[in-house]
Amino acid sequence: MTTYAELRASAGESWRVIADPQRPLIKVGIATCSSVVGANETLAALNGAAADGNFDVMTVGCIGACYAEPTVEVHVRGQSPVLYGNVTVDRVSPLIDAVQQGTVTDFAIAVVGSEGRGDVPPLARLPFFAKQTRRLMAQCGETDPENIDHYIANGGYEGLDKALRMDKEAIIKELLDSGLWGRGGAAFPTGRKWDFLRTSDRHPKYIVCNADEGDPGAFVNRNLMESDPGLIVEGCIIAGFASDADRAYIYIRDEYPIPVDRVQKAVEQAYERGLAGRDILGSGFDFEVEVVRGAGSYVCGDETGLLSSLEDRRGMPKIKPPFPAQAGAFAQPSNINNVESYANAPMILRNGAAWWASVGTERNRGTKMFSLSGKIERVGIVEVPLGTPTREVIEILGGGIPDGKQLKAIQSGGPLSGVIPASEVDIPLEPEYYRERGTLMGGGGLVVMDEDDCVVDLCIYFEWFAEDESCGRCTTCFAGTRRAVEILKRIASGRGREADLELLKLLGTVAQNANCFHGQGAPTVVNSMFRWFEDELLEHVQRKRCPARRCAGLIRYEVVHQTDTLQAAEAICPTTAIVKDDAGQYRIDQQKCVKCDACREVSPYAITIVDEYAS
Amino acid sequence: MFSQASHNSRTSVRGTSVGDVGVASRTAELISDLKADAAEMLKGLHRIQHEFGYIPGEAVAVLADRFKTSPAIVFGTVDFYSELRTTPPAEKVVEWCSGPACLFKNSSGIRRALQAQLGCEMNAASADGQFELRLVQCDGTCKLAPQLRYRGAYMGPMTAASAIEFARSLKPAPEPPIEEPESDGDGEVSTEAAPTTGEEPQSE
Repeated sequence: MTTYAELRASAGESWRVIADPQRPLIKVGIATCSSVVGANETLAALNGAAADGNFDVMTVGCIGACYAEPTVEVHVRGQSPVLYGNVTVDRVSPLIDAVQQGTVTDFAIAVVGSEGRGDVPPLARLPFFAKQTRRLMAQCGETDPENIDHYIANGGYEGLDKALRMDKEAIIKELLDSGLWGRGGAAFPTGRKWDFLRTSDRHPKYIVCNADEGDPGAFVNRNLMESDPGLIVEGCIIAGFASDADRAYIYIRDEYPIPVDRVQKAVEQAYERGLAGRDILGSGFDFEVEVVRGAGSYVCGDETGLLSSLEDRRGMPKIKPPFPAQAGAFAQPSNINNVESYANAPMILRNGAAWWASVGTERNRGTKMFSLSGKIERVGIVEVPLGTPTREVIEILGGGIPDGKQLKAIQSGGPLSGVIPASEVDIPLEPEYYRERGTLMGGGGLVVMDEDDCVVDLCIYFEWFAEDESCGRCTTCFAGTRRAVEILKRIASGRGREADLELLKLLGTVAQNANCFHGQGAPTVVNSMFRWFEDELLEHVQRKRCPARRCAGLIRYEVVHQTDTLQAAEAICPTTAIVKDDAGQYRIDQQKCVKCDACREVSPYAITIVDEYAS
Repeated sequence: MFSQASHNSRTSVRGTSVGDVGVASRTAELISDLKADAAEMLKGLHRIQHEFGYIPGEAVAVLADRFKTSPAIVFGTVDFYSELRTTPPAEKVVEWCSGPACLFKNSSGIRRALQAQLGCEMNAASADGQFELRLVQCDGTCKLAPQLRYRGAYMGPMTAASAIEFARSLKPAPEPPIEEPESDGDGEVSTEAAPTTGEEPQSE
């Protein structure tokens, strides 16, 4: 029987060569975001050169700086590591030269240490990192997510080792004392949930990890799964022990192939080390962990939809009660939490509830990961204490809105949530503030809209999404969202009428009768539009005008100057809508135009967008 | 429990043509180690799609047998998930991201341009069966918004113009022109852009 101390000692051996490398070590972040912008090619080029380059190369997870991917971190003995950004394959050669000459290149973005080096600032001075409190993400981009030794050497499974020596009630008390609540968006105390399952004595009992991060624009769970998967596996095993369960299912969405691979490897390696399976660390506790890969369904992110999906059938949300703790997966008692909820448990056990609760606010303890996308300078994933002002995250960490545009609104919490307008953006990142404003903070997605974006357009997208992903059980949901799409599309096409406004409000009311949150939450974005952007909606309905000039039915493209670039516009048009008349003058055939914007992109001075129904 | 399913079903090659019996027996082989009521049907479906490029109708009965349920339940399951296909994919599938970051950067215009250029509606094939436009979900690679994906490669940030150029690059070289330059009426030779050839997406 291997004890935790022995595991830690041997893991420390293999980590030491990484933490204090003999010769230069180049860490390449390989995750979803970086691999789509060429990180694999960078890695291959570095590996090719490493053979005779007197340096080593290793794969790590992602630090969250999508905007600077591919990122590479260079470790040289006796020096602070240096982080490089946008290291595409053409930058490999200068990077290697710099490493061999002991210098830094002009694409170094930060020194990972307290002091800068030349023009390169310390990491803590980069706005993207300065305001972060990285706990869950502490090892993201530092360790190899496919090597459990790296996880263990940095404190991994210490929390489980402690938990296995504690009473189950004491573990749950620790969770409750920490104040951890469900990170998926519902904000229910995690410890209480675990206690529901603990007090049920019908076996087998299941731990289910909801890694079906389906909200478009949310990708925080993805980052954690592909960068430090051990936290999630360990969290599930701790939850299993605390609630006396038998097996964990980690259900990961199909759209995340790299996380599926890495969590699967983390599970396999946990078995190899005796951290999962029979008689975990000699405690007598048996616990199986299994990864399930979804197949593309948003409602499987609803806890009971996910349960149905496990049961070899359509992933339709169930009717509650019975609640999962009474009859969950396969009608057995189950506990379902989000990835981030489980991932916090090892840290609470390792460092204690008091440490964990030392950041955040009175009501909302701890940190939360957020993903930034849309009209924002720095797309990425950050971790901040709850209670951080939303504006700070958008403007300082995210760098604000590009191209000198004005912030219009922030969409948080996915398609079943709404927006907050720029005037409210000072609110802290805490669920209460968002709820008071008729929306949800949600699971971590923050999508930024600027002045060029249209709220009606967003509503059409979200209502369409809700309709498309509706399981089909409740008429108020599947038909209600379809009616909403029809009405909104009518408005966007210039045929909106006053009665549509009342109909949209009515749909928002009847949707509350849907069984699950999918139907109930679907009208949130429309309600949000009424609350914050009613003027803009009325402009669409009454004046048939889209102020952002996005709604295709309310605009048209016109040639306003006859220039040479119109030839290019004519060539690019996919529908031959740009025609030359007998006098050699270009005009746009409105019957053919699909309003794709390609002509204006290539000929911005000659072609402009005008209101279709200018009054 | 570690029989690792491959993750490539979404990007797998198109279906090999095998007869009904071939499909049934191959399906049975693929799922022979899977059990009912153990959260394993999705694993089976992924393996089948990886093998054939879609879930053939003949596989449904075999699945029903293995998972101790009815073909209707199996078909309902297959039909429910958007990553599972019931028909073989077209030769060239262009994937269009539907996410919000893309939406705010004119993905709707890109969609309309592609529909016109490729001659197909969303989630449908072109009349000649060569092209398919497929809606995919946001996976958080929003640095590339608005993006397209083709055969596993991500492209972005796109513009409507670059999307059109990409779509044109997928079309085969035009037939050699018949010697008869067309006139558009005012004496000028038509300057309609010749589609370029080439299979590789211009990834950024």
